[in-house]
Amino acid sequence: MSMEDYDFLFKIVLIGNAGVGKTCLVRRFTQGLFPPGQGATIGVDFMIKTVEINGEKVKLQIWDTAGQERFRSITQSYYRSANALILTYDITCEESFRCLPEWLREIEQYASNKVITVLVAPEVSFDITSITCISCRFVGNKIDLAERREVSQQRAEEFSEAQDMYYLETSAKESDNVEKLFLDLACRLISEARQNTLVNNVSSPLPGEGKSISYLTCCNFN
Amino acid sequence: MRTKMADLDSPPKLSGVQPPSEGVGGGRCSEISAELIRSLTELQELEAVYERLCGEEKVVERELDALLEQQNSIESKMVTLHRMGPNLQLIEGDAKQLAGMITFTCNLAENVSSKVRQLDLAKNRLYQAIQRADDILDLKFCMDGVQTALRNEDYEQAAAHIHRYLCLDKSVIELSRQGKEGSMIDANLKLLQEAEQRLKAIVAEKFAIATKEGDLPQVERFFKIFPLLGLHEEGLRKFSEYLCKQVASKAEENLLMVLGTDMSDRRAAVIFADTLTLLFEGIARIVETHQPIVETYYGPGRLYTLIKYLQVECDRQVEKVVDKFIKQRDYHQQFRHVQNNLMRNSTTEKIEPRELDPILTEVTLMNARSELYLRFLRKRISSDFEVGDSMASEEVKQEHQKCLDKLLNNCLLSCTMQELIGLYVTMEEYFMRETVNKAVALDTYEKGQLTSSMVDDVFYIVKKCIGRALSSSSIDCLCAMINLATTELESDFRDVLCNKLRMGFPATTFQDIQRGVTSAVNIMHSSLQQGKFDTKGIESTDEAKLSFLVTLNNVEVCSENISTLKKTLESDCTKLFSQGIGGEQAQAKFDSCLSDLAAVSNKFRDLLQEGLTELNSTAIKPQVQPWINSFFSVSHNIEEEEFNDYEANDPWVQQFILNLEQQMAEFKASLSPVIYDSLTGLMTSLVAVELEKVVLKSTFNRLGGLQFDKELRSLIAYLTTVTTWTIRDKFARLSQMATILNLERVTEILDYWGPNSGPLTWRLTPAEVRQVLALRIDFRSEDIKRLRL
Repeated sequence: MSMEDYDFLFKIVLIGNAGVGKTCLVRRFTQGLFPPGQGATIGVDFMIKTVEINGEKVKLQIWDTAGQERFRSITQSYYRSANALILTYDITCEESFRCLPEWLREIEQYASNKVITVLVAPEVSFDITSITCISCRFVGNKIDLAERREVSQQRAEEFSEAQDMYYLETSAKESDNVEKLFLDLACRLISEARQNTLVNNVSSPLPGEGKSISYLTCCNFN
Repeated sequence: MRTKMADLDSPPKLSGVQPPSEGVGGGRCSEISAELIRSLTELQELEAVYERLCGEEKVVERELDALLEQQNSIESKMVTLHRMGPNLQLIEGDAKQLAGMITFTCNLAENVSSKVRQLDLAKNRLYQAIQRADDILDLKFCMDGVQTALRNEDYEQAAAHIHRYLCLDKSVIELSRQGKEGSMIDANLKLLQEAEQRLKAIVAEKFAIATKEGDLPQVERFFKIFPLLGLHEEGLRKFSEYLCKQVASKAEENLLMVLGTDMSDRRAAVIFADTLTLLFEGIARIVETHQPIVETYYGPGRLYTLIKYLQVECDRQVEKVVDKFIKQRDYHQQFRHVQNNLMRNSTTEKIEPRELDPILTEVTLMNARSELYLRFLRKRISSDFEVGDSMASEEVKQEHQKCLDKLLNNCLLSCTMQELIGLYVTMEEYFMRETVNKAVALDTYEKGQLTSSMVDDVFYIVKKCIGRALSSSSIDCLCAMINLATTELESDFRDVLCNKLRMGFPATTFQDIQRGVTSAVNIMHSSLQQGKFDTKGIESTDEAKLSFLVTLNNVEVCSENISTLKKTLESDCTKLFSQGIGGEQAQAKFDSCLSDLAAVSNKFRDLLQEGLTELNSTAIKPQVQPWINSFFSVSHNIEEEEFNDYEANDPWVQQFILNLEQQMAEFKASLSPVIYDSLTGLMTSLVAVELEKVVLKSTFNRLGGLQFDKELRSLIAYLTTVTTWTIRDKFARLSQMATILNLERVTEILDYWGPNSGPLTWRLTPAEVRQVLALRIDFRSEDIKRLRL
């Protein structure tokens, strides 16, 4: 491969129940669109966006996965190489929130232990707004539908705290917090990557030993 | 004459008049005003003013002369102007006349064109009148024609009449009703409408009969009539029903045949894929056959409707076939079994991966057929829409595209296949993992080979699994398998090799080395006799050594194989992408997954490097160290006699070279050339570093220095023959030390130092040079101290 024009390359994988607004979130971020009447994603979609953070070019490879059960084995195969997972649920759908522990089990099982997970709640609907929550593991989407909210922000925050995740509510429709979600994530990934090389230089671990790296609060999330 | 007169008196006149005027406008022409002159009292001042006034007068005179010279030309111009006077009057008259004529012509033209416009209007009205008359005549003709046609059962003719009637402008009909014969036309219209209804009923009925009897010509005959009656949708629906029935009966037949297929049949293993193929081919043939009729009689853009109806039947049949497939092949059960096995520390009996082989192949084949079929539909519908939408707006086009996507993405066929492939991926992962484990467990090493069997086996398996995923024609399935293969190689398989390397290369003592080499060879021999060499239960050090070296080779080959695998996959997929499979993102997805796989190659390379470093420090260093230390036992503080004796009986370097040679021989035989080369590189560096330490602890005299120089040359000469790397660089410091130890006098160093160094780049610092000089016992330390470096 030729010398690419970026300083960092990160893989971000979006997961969560079907219909919580993963695709809208990605489209909003990568293309600035909110396509209404989005059909269900088939398999995995792949998008790239390069952002600049503190003068450094960061290429984000975003894998938007299908939420439906039948694609699970395909989407799971992407967890391991992901630098970050965005776990998404819909604040207007209790069910999508209740499924989160199950998603976390999956992450535990398939993802590398270095992965950063974020909880997001995006809102897809067409008349109100969308939530995305980031935790060290997840995002609540659809805050634009706040009046139809079924999952209180407090509950989501408690959950994400217990799971050691960063939580953020977004609206793909109103574009609330969408940029922030991805840019903050990129920030964290950069500092994690720096930390990683530092750790590796200090003690060269025996090959094959996965190293668990503790999360650090890297950038201001405000 | 008058002008001439004026000419003559004007100069005196001018000159007479000018001065006062000059004086009046004194502010303008002369800077000196009359008042100023009057106020002057001094003679000197007056003279000065006078002089200035004289100067001004001269200037004025010159200007006047110049003006007078222009008089002639101005006069001649005046004459011409006077002559033009009468001509202008003539022109004015002509212009007035012309204007009058233009106004007249204009009015005339207006007049004429308004008449033409009226004519045009009249003509248009006439045409409309004729059209309406025609329409009314047609209407009458239709009324009569329909009756006759219906009587004669000439339905095409009747439909054509109705079609004509339906195409008529409704206002015409309205108009004819208001006419004199209104009541009669009303009656006729009623008849016509009745005829229309009757015809519709008849066509529907006849069509039903024809479909029931399977009378294709009749079916097609009435199918063509529907659009004439404005019943496009109904026609397509009814026709589809007929076609669906055919599809269904054929599919049922095929399924019955499947259930009766003997298990020994050549195609038995892929019988369900074959059944699906037959179904798809059948539908494709129907589309192919009937597309022209639909296009001709229903217009472009209608194929979508036909296929939409057909797909419902297709889905129904696919469901049946897949149900039978799942039941007969125990697909779900096998999946659950695999899922249980995949849980680490599961206790259920492991399913034999080989048993999964046929079913995995069949599923991928089924998916490939479906993809092919869906691609066919997409292509047909798209191009049909394209013809119909050539003039349509962007929105309509997008709407059609959306309909098409929805039809193909949401049809049961797509969902069912996605489900099957989802389970397939898990089972294929299990197949890959278990088979790789098996290959590792059955790992054998044969003498003469550098690597053991598992490397080739593992890559054969990985390639097979990815290849099978590729054959499904599903990009997501392929990418998932590439990801899983990356995981398998990067963690599980790399761990196997890593653990083997971690056992280390057993350190052997100096005395062991001779025996070690021969017994390692013996082990290879005995393992060859047994046909197998169990690399798992390593007991003896020799086996451990061999295992370590083989593993190093394995790691290198893995790295190579991954790169090869990447290239192979790339070229295999170009064909797939050129067919436009998987949408616009397919290539990007594939490339990304593949580059992750390729990155694993570097991880193996890193592992190799670690293994080599380990080998160098645990196996080579402990042995090389005593050989180099034996340098101490050879005095380099010698006289002529001893020097000559050394010449005859080499005291150190020859034995050292021999030892190195023997030790490296062991590695050369069992390591791949590339690894051996890296290892000799590491060994050479080690020798250079260690020898330097020893030299710095020894003492020399002039002949001893010469002896060391000779020894170093022999060593470098030998090492040059065993490495492909250039070793001069590694030995640069030692060579320079030898040069210093070989000097006649301390000050001779200055011939080589600083500005005299020539092409030589010193690797020794001045302090080091002094340190080396001090090793010569015959050099006085004061001389060394006195050196200016």
